[in-house]
Amino acid sequence: MSRSYDSRTTIFSPEGRLYQVEYALEAINHAGVALGIVAKDGIVLAAEKKVTSKLLEQEESAEKLYHIGDNMLCAVAGLTADANILINYARRVGQQYLQTFNEEMPCEQLVRRVCDLKQGYTQYGGLRPFGVSFLYAGWDHIRGYQLFQSNPSGNYGSWQANSIGGNSTSVQSLMRQEYKDDINLDEASAMAVKFLSKTLDSNSLTHEKIEFATITKDTTKNKMVCKIWKSDEINEVLNKYQETQRQS
Amino acid sequence: MSIMEYNGGSCVAMAGKNCVAIASDLRLGVQSISLTNNFPKVFAMGDKTYLGLTGLATDVQTLYELFRYKVNLYKFREERQIQPKTFANLVSSTLYEKRFGPYFSFPVVAGVSNDNTPFICGFDSIGCIDFAEDFIVSGTATEQLYGMCESVYEPNLEPDDLFETISQALLNAQDRDCISGWGCVVYVITADKCIKRLVKGRQD
Repeated sequence: MSRSYDSRTTIFSPEGRLYQVEYALEAINHAGVALGIVAKDGIVLAAEKKVTSKLLEQEESAEKLYHIGDNMLCAVAGLTADANILINYARRVGQQYLQTFNEEMPCEQLVRRVCDLKQGYTQYGGLRPFGVSFLYAGWDHIRGYQLFQSNPSGNYGSWQANSIGGNSTSVQSLMRQEYKDDINLDEASAMAVKFLSKTLDSNSLTHEKIEFATITKDTTKNKMVCKIWKSDEINEVLNKYQETQRQS
Repeated sequence: MSIMEYNGGSCVAMAGKNCVAIASDLRLGVQSISLTNNFPKVFAMGDKTYLGLTGLATDVQTLYELFRYKVNLYKFREERQIQPKTFANLVSSTLYEKRFGPYFSFPVVAGVSNDNTPFICGFDSIGCIDFAEDFIVSGTATEQLYGMCESVYEPNLEPDDLFETISQALLNAQDRDCISGWGCVVYVITADKCIKRLVKGRQD
């Protein structure tokens, strides 16, 4: 019955559903998990790196965390190829704003612009929607540290902590139990490691399996620092976590 | 009257031993009328890559904004800073895109590469690169700067000596040019740091 509706992105089914959008959301549920936590003095983003084969060359750079502005990072869940198109778009939009107004683009505006593009693919026919969800972590003068989540339908929301991708529901329930709103960045990072280690099926985490990024303020230079962590820095946090696990 | 001499301004870059320096005057005017003494013409394009822009002030600002855009996109994509040599080619190709309606600016690039080699170069308004081992001059005091640089420059200077040399070259050159001057800004770039100094000059 649904056959005749699900190949067209812009046609509602009799039950009022857009099947292609739902299939896109399904694609994201097969991706590795990514999570973000807002702290008082920064934001942490973490993602699971799926190791498909040991023959595959291990890339030093992150596959799921990207810079999109001097004050903004994002984490990806879904089709990486689709994500690259959107990330390119987001970077250009941010830089065009900087060129015209000589100040960094407010985070929510940038998120909305990308979501407008995504929404278009659910309404104008002929093409499939982007199969990606994003977690945006950013800082601006208007609202300080912010975390946004977006999905293929073009919806977005602002969160204190959230996750996307496969396993995201179990991460979210852990977050509901453990999140406090007065934590600092170190505590948030420790929390991110904990959530990942509880939801990933492997028993020991390594830098090959996860990616890490933070936004915080460098108080000496009075400048925001967006950093995607190197493998030795990730190992340091993991070691610290395993240390505390052993003690308790 | 040439459009290149409408607002006035000069820039100079010098290479030393594992270091480079780039300096510009601070004046902005309309022909002989000075408007401000706080208009630097040197811009950071990376930790160790700097761009000097002389010529028509509106094009100086536009080019700075354009290169900031391009360099930021490069930085996000590559997850590293742009190298001076790469940036020089970016400047060249960007200027040549406007071959038949050029920006009225003669840029200067100075920087230290990842392997600590100093790099300086200059351009004409349509992007022809002038690679140099010693110094590059640009702007309305070009002739005076050539004279100063050819007499005070010596190769393999240490950062402090390079600062003294470039400051003296620029200050004395701009004193002999009506539409450059009002102090200068000097950047000395070494492998591990970059020092920015404001040098007070004649205020007349």
